[in-house]
Amino acid sequence: MCGIAGYTFARGLPVGEHPAHAARLARMTASLRHRGPDAQRGVLLDGAALGHARLAIVDVEGGRQPMIDHATGVAVVYNGEIYNHVELRERWGGSYAFRTRSDTEVLLAGYVREGIDAVSRFVGQFAFAIFDPRDGATWLGRDRVGICPLYYTRTPEGWAFASEIKALMAGGHVKAALDAVGVHQSIRLWSPLAPRTCFRDVLALPPAHVARLDGRRIALSRYWDLPIPNPARASSGQEGPASRRLAELLADAVHLTLRADVPVSAYLSGGLDSSLVSALAQRELGGSLQTFSMSFARPEYDEAPFQRQAARALRTDHRVAAVDDADIAALLPRVVWHGEQVLIRSAPAPLLGLSGLVRSTGTKVVLTGEGADEFFWGYDLFKETKLRAFWARQPASRLRPALLSRLYPYMPRMRQSPEVMSQFYGIGLDRPDAPAFSHQLRWAATGRIARLFSPSFAGAVEGSDPPGDVVAAMPPDVARSGPLARAQYIEAQTLLSGYLLSAQGDRVLLGNSVEGRFPFLDHRVIEFACALPEGLKLRVLVEKYLLRRLARDLLPPSLAERTKQPYRAPVVGALVGPSAPDWARRALSRDAVDEAGVFSGEKIERLAAHAAASGGHETEGNAMALMAVASAHLLHERLVRGFEVPSADVRAVEVSAP
Amino acid sequence: MSTEARIREFIHDTFLADDFGDDDSFLKTGLIDSTGMLELVAFIEEAFAIEVQDSELLPANLDSVRNLARFVERKTQRAAE
Repeated sequence: MCGIAGYTFARGLPVGEHPAHAARLARMTASLRHRGPDAQRGVLLDGAALGHARLAIVDVEGGRQPMIDHATGVAVVYNGEIYNHVELRERWGGSYAFRTRSDTEVLLAGYVREGIDAVSRFVGQFAFAIFDPRDGATWLGRDRVGICPLYYTRTPEGWAFASEIKALMAGGHVKAALDAVGVHQSIRLWSPLAPRTCFRDVLALPPAHVARLDGRRIALSRYWDLPIPNPARASSGQEGPASRRLAELLADAVHLTLRADVPVSAYLSGGLDSSLVSALAQRELGGSLQTFSMSFARPEYDEAPFQRQAARALRTDHRVAAVDDADIAALLPRVVWHGEQVLIRSAPAPLLGLSGLVRSTGTKVVLTGEGADEFFWGYDLFKETKLRAFWARQPASRLRPALLSRLYPYMPRMRQSPEVMSQFYGIGLDRPDAPAFSHQLRWAATGRIARLFSPSFAGAVEGSDPPGDVVAAMPPDVARSGPLARAQYIEAQTLLSGYLLSAQGDRVLLGNSVEGRFPFLDHRVIEFACALPEGLKLRVLVEKYLLRRLARDLLPPSLAERTKQPYRAPVVGALVGPSAPDWARRALSRDAVDEAGVFSGEKIERLAAHAAASGGHETEGNAMALMAVASAHLLHERLVRGFEVPSADVRAVEVSAP
Repeated sequence: MSTEARIREFIHDTFLADDFGDDDSFLKTGLIDSTGMLELVAFIEEAFAIEVQDSELLPANLDSVRNLARFVERKTQRAAE
């Protein structure tokens, strides 16, 4: 993948102003150098400046950007992959004279031939900006689920846009300040709710949208929607055909994501999804697949034995990044610099370490299993929702809530007491049709962090209600669907695009110049999964049922039948205690907390002392709070207080006027 | 220090709560989550040398400073008899 940046201005720019604009575009592009270390180039056009940092993967020679169509003058900068570029080239080749083999030119040709609607023909992951000199408008576009990031802000002359927020700051288009509501949403929901971000005046283009920029006007439109999951029960005879269709689709998705002019490797977490992707990739590559995973020093987080088992069974060339508390602490400042949001989990940190290992071997592209848990229903959240909905039908039952102890291993003690059970797990049981029934427990847990806010921050977010924002944004047809369908919608809106694909995806991959590819997020696979009856995804309490059935043919039984283990990473040991680094001590100190302004320095001092004394047995809520405090501090220190783009990087950007 | 004062101090330090009344429900005010409740039980078992049976995990025993203090006092008296 790559990085893009640019901005619009009035046409007829005096030549005397060119150098200042070239310098501004160079600073923006240089701030994205990690996303594209192979080349950084920009172009000043009559109405827009476009910059591009390139990670060369397809048509290494011909794929230079910005790319301009000479017949029309249409110019494009683009980040990502259009996997079906080979097929689309055939479609448009009769009426468009291709000069390169690159997928960038397919985007250009599609726009020139069919206008912006061409975007709905793309299978892939992308974010782009297209300047059309014929009408002076600029189009922004983003892939269907939000794999590639794209941010924008209004300027006095028009609009500025970039793959990362820091480029908008580097170009002087926004004054860096935390957005209280965006930060509050990140803490409650795990991520800001697009278009909002953690920074004031900076907006994210929502997934599956294009935007037309014209002067200071903007018009957004959606070109695809996540289908509402099929509420039907599974009937006998469906399973076999569905399994065969899934095998075909996934094999094709893997086939397309292996398209590259450089080697493609895979992450192997030890779970079902990445093992399936690796198995299909290995079959296609004929045995040359390289895989990567991480192991944790703390056994409760570690999945190394399953990873070794998978690597042996699939005969991959496997490498492991070993991670301990000190590694996580050392990685977190870079995680937040790249991720640009408040975090309540440290799980992105090991992944930044892992992409470092990948890059050190010279590999630029990895496949992962991301997306299967969202659309084939792997998360415990789906089981929890199903069980609570079952319990809600007989709220007085003592047996129904007891089933929840299958999900919460620490619960057996409480099972004896339905009164206590219903206080903790029965939240909202009286309204099982409420739009956010599925997420009430999770949001109640993050809601407890609010009592640690500073008085000024609490004042700034008074009246802001992140769960209410999710519900308000829910389309009526989703609101009318069932609890599991709504759970999937909320996961996709909050967790998937705003967090897993962003702070825990794109940012920690591109932070080390590695591109991630996600066969389960091929929109044809998503549409297939949504059309499946519920019983082929969550059968009783077996998650990802149909994927497991497929896995029986491709993986050893111990992996195919393994229950999902949530991916998590330690927080408390990394941030407090003997191995905590200086930055973390400072981040949790009263003065630094007060300066960042989100939390109360006095309360965090007590929280840190309690965590240090807990010997690693801190409550989940306090661990999330510590992570939020540390990340808010890092955002403040690294981004809000200003940063320098290395001047050598700025000089390396080649800016031209056509 | 009184039983109530020790419990208050524990809650103050562990759950970082400042303003709660002796009769405020831990659960209804969202002060304590389910793992927090287990931590609270572990605290009273250790601090007051009592054993809490699963059948005693009831809001009536555990769900406010006052209820908890009464419960602890009943248990310690019983142990002393």
